[in-house]
Amino acid sequence: MNLAFKEIKRNKVRFLILGSIVFLVSLLTFIISGLANGLSQDNASLIKDLPEGQFYMNDDAEETYTLSRIDSSLQDELLTNYKDATALSIQMGILNNHNGKQQSVVFVASTESKNFKDVKDGEIILDQSMEEKGINVGDTLTNPQFSGEFTVKGFVDQTKFSHAAVAFINIENYKEIYRVNEMQLVFVPKDNSPQEISGLQSFSKHEFLKTIPSFNAEQMTLNMIVWFLVVISGMLFAIFFYMMNVQKIGLFGILKAIGLKTSRLFTIMWTQMIFITITSLALSIAISQGFNLIAPEGMPFSLTIETTMNLSVVFLVIGFIGTTIASLQIKKIEPLQAIQQGEI
Amino acid sequence: MSLFTLNEVKKTFTIGEVKEEILKGVNLSLREGEVTALVGASGSGKSTLLTIAAGLQSASNGQVIFEGNNLSQMEEEGIRKIRANHFGFIFQFAHLVPFLTVEEQLLLMLDVSESKLKKHEQKSEVNRILQVVGMEHRKQAYPSSLSGGEKQRVAIARAIIHKPKVLFADEPTASLDSKRSKDVMALIREITKTLNITTLVVTHDEEMLVFVDHIIKMSDGLIVQHS
Ligand SMILES: Nc1ncnc2c1ncn2[C@@H]1O[C@H](COP(=O)(O)OP(=O)(O)OP(=O)(O)O)[C@@H](O)[C@H]1O
Ligand SMILES: [Mg+2]
Repeated sequence: MNLAFKEIKRNKVRFLILGSIVFLVSLLTFIISGLANGLSQDNASLIKDLPEGQFYMNDDAEETYTLSRIDSSLQDELLTNYKDATALSIQMGILNNHNGKQQSVVFVASTESKNFKDVKDGEIILDQSMEEKGINVGDTLTNPQFSGEFTVKGFVDQTKFSHAAVAFINIENYKEIYRVNEMQLVFVPKDNSPQEISGLQSFSKHEFLKTIPSFNAEQMTLNMIVWFLVVISGMLFAIFFYMMNVQKIGLFGILKAIGLKTSRLFTIMWTQMIFITITSLALSIAISQGFNLIAPEGMPFSLTIETTMNLSVVFLVIGFIGTTIASLQIKKIEPLQAIQQGEI
Repeated sequence: MSLFTLNEVKKTFTIGEVKEEILKGVNLSLREGEVTALVGASGSGKSTLLTIAAGLQSASNGQVIFEGNNLSQMEEEGIRKIRANHFGFIFQFAHLVPFLTVEEQLLLMLDVSESKLKKHEQKSEVNRILQVVGMEHRKQAYPSSLSGGEKQRVAIARAIIHKPKVLFADEPTASLDSKRSKDVMALIREITKTLNITTLVVTHDEEMLVFVDHIIKMSDGLIVQHS
């Protein structure tokens, strides 16, 4: 006889309330985590979407890429010695269109590479968000420090840095705008990257992201919120499952007295907990994934199935622990107390 | 024949620093097919004695012998099996499972006692026992919709459906009015006779004593009178 489901059927409201709490809390966690991830995409998709690899900047740049200048002879040496290595620079800047309207962008210039856009002299490739702002292929854009004009060649998907749209330009145009001759960084994809190069400091992708001040602060805050939610929801789950089971101590005592195995009582509680958690999680996964699809264009929201699954497993484990802690009480129940407590 | 024997059973409770001996060496044997009543003043140790005999708590000293097994030396799991297969319980309150129908309460008991009956045989057995207690018309009812007396009759049905050898009842009529109390006691007596069960009933109610074969009077942790 399946006592777990018989009880759920008979006490629908109670289990519905418990289920909706699990649902709401997990949905909230999924949404916040989607926002955290969305914001981090918005902040640094230029870097995040690169393959794994190492970034190198000058030793004396003090981990600030804008201060880094890599000596050209060293750069040449690196680019010839390591396959797919790229030298690049990233700088905030502005673009004006023909009617003088100004847009902030991040200029990115690199040596020839499959990981970055190849842009010819006088051309520019922009992040898609610029298209939504009314810029079209073939438009001409200017920059106060640049003698020539940029012609828009095309757009790229979600390529942002520091919440600004990326603008890929030719390396020579870059050098003119910022009046520099050296590039800030060298990027070498993982398989080919050397550990140590004298005079340079190496950063993994993750480490490099952490050197971007705004990125680090933002992600730390959001991740803290997500984990805070996970901990709070864990406690909520545990408390609710605990309360539900404590209410049944009298009943469990009677069942023990008539000869039910303690292990069967545990199974009842675990079955109920797993059933409720999985149903509620399935619902909030469906809704958060749905939201992922229909999230408004400007809203930075990105929730992968993988993140959702990882969080779901955390919720299940937490629910399981909560129920088990509550259940330890049951092991201790003396059938006698229940009998003498009177009507249940 | 005596199925159940208690030898020099003692029980001491420690409350704080004070040790109090509640049972001071009880000797008792119960006979098959007979109802034995346990009477005595409140606090004299009746419930304690009954629950020790039923394996719901252990004795501090002495032997509780059921079919040659000494319960006071058995493991928890062994005692549980004996309770599930050979003992039936009726308490002051029915203590039914709130989310099961009357029929399901009894099927659960068959399940717990690992009944060998097939599904449809279990169902007809449930019907039969419900007829015995006069509750077959409420088979699909949940406990919340039954009266106190009806609940108690279902509890009796649950206590006997698995054909226990011993039936323990601690004040089974205390929550019922006089008329219903008599009905319930008559029922317990009848079942004891027809199923040849060994029954031990704790009661406060003098009126109930007409339904029993033996009366054992307790006072201050000792049996003072047999009849
Ligand atoms: N778990 C326990 N811990 C401490 N003392 C207990 C415990 N159980 C029972 N006692 C004490 O043992 C004595 C006998 O209790 P018991 O319940 O057996 O009495 P009783 O004869 O059934 O009384 P009543 O007729 O009121 O039900 C009482 O004084 C009670 O306080
Ligand atoms: Mg008592």
